[in-house]
Amino acid sequence: MVTDSARAIGLKTALTVAAFVVAGGASAQSANGVARAPDGHPDLSGTWDNGAGIDFVQPRKDGESICIFGCASGAPAPAGGAAAPGAPPPPAGPKYRPELAARVADLDARQVQEDPVLRCFAPGVPRIGPPDKIVQRAGEAVFLYEDVSGSFFRLVPTDGRPHPTNNEPSFLGDAVGHWEGDTLVVETKNFNDQTWLTDNGAFHTDALRVVERLRRTADTLEWTATAYDPGVLTEPYTPAKRMAKLTDLEIVESPPCIDRSLANMVDGSHHTNPR
Amino acid sequence: MARTVLPLLCALGALCLIDGNAVAHHSVAGQFDQSQRTQITGVISKVDWINPHVYIQMDVPDEKGAITTWRLESLPTAMLRKAGLTSEMLKGGGQKVTAAVILARNGTPNLGWLLNLTYEDGHEYVLAGE
Repeated sequence: MVTDSARAIGLKTALTVAAFVVAGGASAQSANGVARAPDGHPDLSGTWDNGAGIDFVQPRKDGESICIFGCASGAPAPAGGAAAPGAPPPPAGPKYRPELAARVADLDARQVQEDPVLRCFAPGVPRIGPPDKIVQRAGEAVFLYEDVSGSFFRLVPTDGRPHPTNNEPSFLGDAVGHWEGDTLVVETKNFNDQTWLTDNGAFHTDALRVVERLRRTADTLEWTATAYDPGVLTEPYTPAKRMAKLTDLEIVESPPCIDRSLANMVDGSHHTNPR
Repeated sequence: MARTVLPLLCALGALCLIDGNAVAHHSVAGQFDQSQRTQITGVISKVDWINPHVYIQMDVPDEKGAITTWRLESLPTAMLRKAGLTSEMLKGGGQKVTAAVILARNGTPNLGWLLNLTYEDGHEYVLAGE
C-alpha cells in the first residue's frame, strides 16, 4: 500500500532528480520548491504580479455597477502624498553632492513639467521596477514590462559575454547578467541621462550603473536594485525591495501613453511617487 | 451602488500615489477644480483607451438638440482594467448616460475630470467618488 506521504516523498525525490537531469526544455523543481531550468539555475520564467503600484485600488462590484474610489464600505483612497494603508514607508531618496542640491530642488519644484515619466518617456532603471514577465532560456533572460509609459523589453545575456560597446545610450541601458548561486545579478549601464531615479528631481548622469538582484523562492520573486552614479551621488541609491507573485494573469500590450494633461496644468501640484 | 462622500482630493490624491511600474501621472488637482462641478447627460461616442489617463468623448445635446462634445479625463488603464472595466462597458451600448464631472481650472470649455457615470438602465461606474 502506498500512502499519500510516501507518494509525496517519491514525487519530491523525482522532482529533485529531474532538476539535475537535463532533459528537454521544461523546467523541473528542486527540493526547496524552486523551479529550475534545464541548466540547473532557478527558472525565473513566468508572469510576476508586483502589484503594479496600485495595490490600494480595491474595486467593488454590485450587480452591473462598479465602484473604484469612494465606495461605501471600501477603504478610502489614500490622500495625496500619504502612504497606502499598510504600505511600508518610502525609502530614503538618492543622496546628492551638496553642490547639486539646488539643481535637484529646482527639478523637484518643477516636477510636473520636468519628470520624464509624466511625459511618457521610459522610466529608466531602477525606476521601472521588477519585470512583469521573464522569459528565461539557457544563456539569456528576457525581461518584459507592461508599463504606463509603454511596453518595454530588456535582453539580459547570461552566457558570459561582456557589455556591448557599440550601442547608443538608452533609457533602459545595456544589461548583462550572471548567476551568484540562485540569484540572478543584472548589471546595466550605457544609460542616457534623460530619466530620473525617483520622482523628486532625482536626475542622474550617463555614467549611471545599476545592479539588480532577482531571487525566486517558490512562487515569489524578490527584486532589489542599487544605483551607482558617483559623479553626482554621495552614496549608492537603493530603492525599496519589491516582491512579486507568480500569476496566471498575462500581461498585455500597454495602451499608448499620450499626455493630454500638461497643457492644462494650472500649477505644479506635486505628486508623491515613490518609484 | 452606495457611495460615501469621499473627499475629492483624497481620491485625486490616490492617483498621485504610485510606486510601481504601471502607473505614474499628473496631479489631477493641478488641472481640475473640485469646487467647479456639473452634470451632463448624453451618449459616449468614443473612448480613448490611453495612458496615463483614459479619455471619454461624450456627445451632449442642448434643449434644441445641438450637440456639444465633452472630453472627460479618467483613471489610468491599469486601474480600470483591475476593476474589470473595458472601453465597451464605458460606452454602455450607446444608451443615455449622466456624468458627474469637475471642471478644468484653466477654464478650458467642455473638459472635465470624470467622477461617475450613471446609465439609463440604472447601473453606474463610480470612478473617483464625490
